[in-house]
Amino acid sequence: MIYNLNIIFPEIFLSLSIFSVLMIGVFIKKSFNLIFNLTSLIIIITIMIISSSPNDTEKVFSESFTRDAFSNYFKILILLSSLFVLNSSKNFIVENKLDKFEYPIIILLSILGMFFMVSANDLILFYLGLELQSLSLYILASIDRDNLRSTESGIKYFVLSALSSGLLLYGCSLLYGFTGSTNFDLIASQLNKENTGAVFAMVFILVGLAFKVSAVPFHMWTPDVYEGAPTSITSYFAVVPKTAGLALLIKFMFIPFSNILLEWQTIIIFISIASMILGAVAAMIQKNFKRLLAYSSIGHIGYALAGVATGTISGYKSTIVYITIYVIMNIGAFSCLYLLKKDGQYKENISDLSGISKKHPLLAISLLIILFSLAGIPPLGGFFAKFYVFVAVIEKEMYALAIIGLLTTVLSAFYYLKIIKTIYFDDSLIAFESTKNRTAQISILASCSILITFFLYPSILNNLVDTLFIG
Amino acid sequence: MIIHSFFFYFFSIIAIFSSLMVITSRSTINSVFFLILDFISVGCLFIMVGAEFLGMILLIVYVGAVAVLFLFVVMMLNVAEQKQSWFIGKKSTHIPTGLIVSVLILLELLVVVGGWKYKENVMSSSTLVMSKISNTHQLGLVMYTDYILYFQLAGVVLLLAMIGAILLTFRKRIGVKKQSYFTQISRTPSTSIELKDVKSNEGIKLDD
Repeated sequence: MIYNLNIIFPEIFLSLSIFSVLMIGVFIKKSFNLIFNLTSLIIIITIMIISSSPNDTEKVFSESFTRDAFSNYFKILILLSSLFVLNSSKNFIVENKLDKFEYPIIILLSILGMFFMVSANDLILFYLGLELQSLSLYILASIDRDNLRSTESGIKYFVLSALSSGLLLYGCSLLYGFTGSTNFDLIASQLNKENTGAVFAMVFILVGLAFKVSAVPFHMWTPDVYEGAPTSITSYFAVVPKTAGLALLIKFMFIPFSNILLEWQTIIIFISIASMILGAVAAMIQKNFKRLLAYSSIGHIGYALAGVATGTISGYKSTIVYITIYVIMNIGAFSCLYLLKKDGQYKENISDLSGISKKHPLLAISLLIILFSLAGIPPLGGFFAKFYVFVAVIEKEMYALAIIGLLTTVLSAFYYLKIIKTIYFDDSLIAFESTKNRTAQISILASCSILITFFLYPSILNNLVDTLFIG
Repeated sequence: MIIHSFFFYFFSIIAIFSSLMVITSRSTINSVFFLILDFISVGCLFIMVGAEFLGMILLIVYVGAVAVLFLFVVMMLNVAEQKQSWFIGKKSTHIPTGLIVSVLILLELLVVVGGWKYKENVMSSSTLVMSKISNTHQLGLVMYTDYILYFQLAGVVLLLAMIGAILLTFRKRIGVKKQSYFTQISRTPSTSIELKDVKSNEGIKLDD
């Protein structure tokens, strides 16, 4: 038993520290700063615990919880990205009076939910993890409760997400009914093409998961929620839950649904193509930077799903590389938003960026790097992400998907370049305050330097991802 | 066996009667009370078939929480005095629609029950091997062993829901005068009484 608990030790540590931090927050008045720093410390310690734990596959709690290289990789990615998102947004949180001590605690709880999502080997555990994560996200979206847009985005997200959870649960119950088990491995052994009911269930589960990663046609909530929620929450939404959702999707395709590849492949191909096209076309007319990033994230999920659509190990690997680089790019992009401050207000319109290259050359050049990378222009990191995905797609001889993907890349380059044009060639309108937001600057620096130097040693990330599917 | 069927009919008749009263009684508060009676009698029926856990949960969750919540809502929203115009008056278009829906549901039930009756290989419930352990005990045996992880995680989800509800709705009111016993008791004449010399024919200014 003691051996068993070692495997779930990061989760136990995280939950116990959440409870103790909660107690501190309740009994000490005005403890936001203390709790915030403790949260960062907890995240760092959890990273250390996970990175020191072995990578061999172990299953505990009647094989419902897996610890393997795959889950460890995603847990570290989730923790690192939340650490950067949290710290770069600290000034924003304090200045917008969101500094309630529950804020970092709810972030920690959502991280706990995502841990169980990526480690789940059982329908019940996966659903509980997913609910823990989404419930935290509903609360976070409406945390600015006196702001109409924030509450609206929270309600909208809650209602739509509850609907998708219902569909997901319906799929789970059907899957349990037709295969007789909630365990992923047992489901995989029971599933085949003749099991029509289970194939039907797969569609429902896919719909629910596509909603959680906001892939077309289940993306409706994304732009409104991204625009309405406070920027610090939006950056969290755009980065961390997407990672966990995609990890879950890969896990579902890789373990329980591996026998019905042909059945789900067409669905994923459709979702992927639709997301890529919508992400490219709808983003062109956006004026709000957060809304633009929402559409761009829909597009990026489309590219990531193209890797999943191949149904091969190399495809899954390319998706993991893609999502990793996506996380790095988005942390940088959102950190730039924290520097656009004027008269105590954070600007989020694209027109506000007009001509900032003259007064803020460093900010302009970092935005240039990040936007070029988002557009997928070599030799930046974003190019390699897309490159690996398309290599995997072409290896599987899915030329239509590859061609559409490349065309939408060109289309989406248009709106990224349009922003760069605004930054460099338009008349300078406003000068932003020179904020001393060191953490956001460090995030931008880290993001940009990884994106620039990625082409020197792409093998570091590739070798890491190569080890994930051995177990 | 006769006593068993006597109890069965007793609780069933109460259940049917109270559920009819829920939809026909004039006062909304009475409806809620009959709803509670209905839940209790159905709970008793559950206990009679040996599902005592389900029966108790029904009492705790539905009677203890949901029905009381209904009662609160009814009293808060002041809908208790609303005239029921559903079945009275010329505008009562609800009856035909309701009748159609009820007949459809009845037909569906007939089809379901009939299909079940003539289905082959249906096991009669009397062939079930009933174990000696009560089902609360059985649930308890797996809840803290096989399902401990789910159980604890569900607890964390509830905790989060509680934190969220407090975070989103709790407001500190400004300007509320609170009584503090400590400051009241620790008052001394020197902190609250000021002695002033009043010169004749001049008076003093208060509150300056």
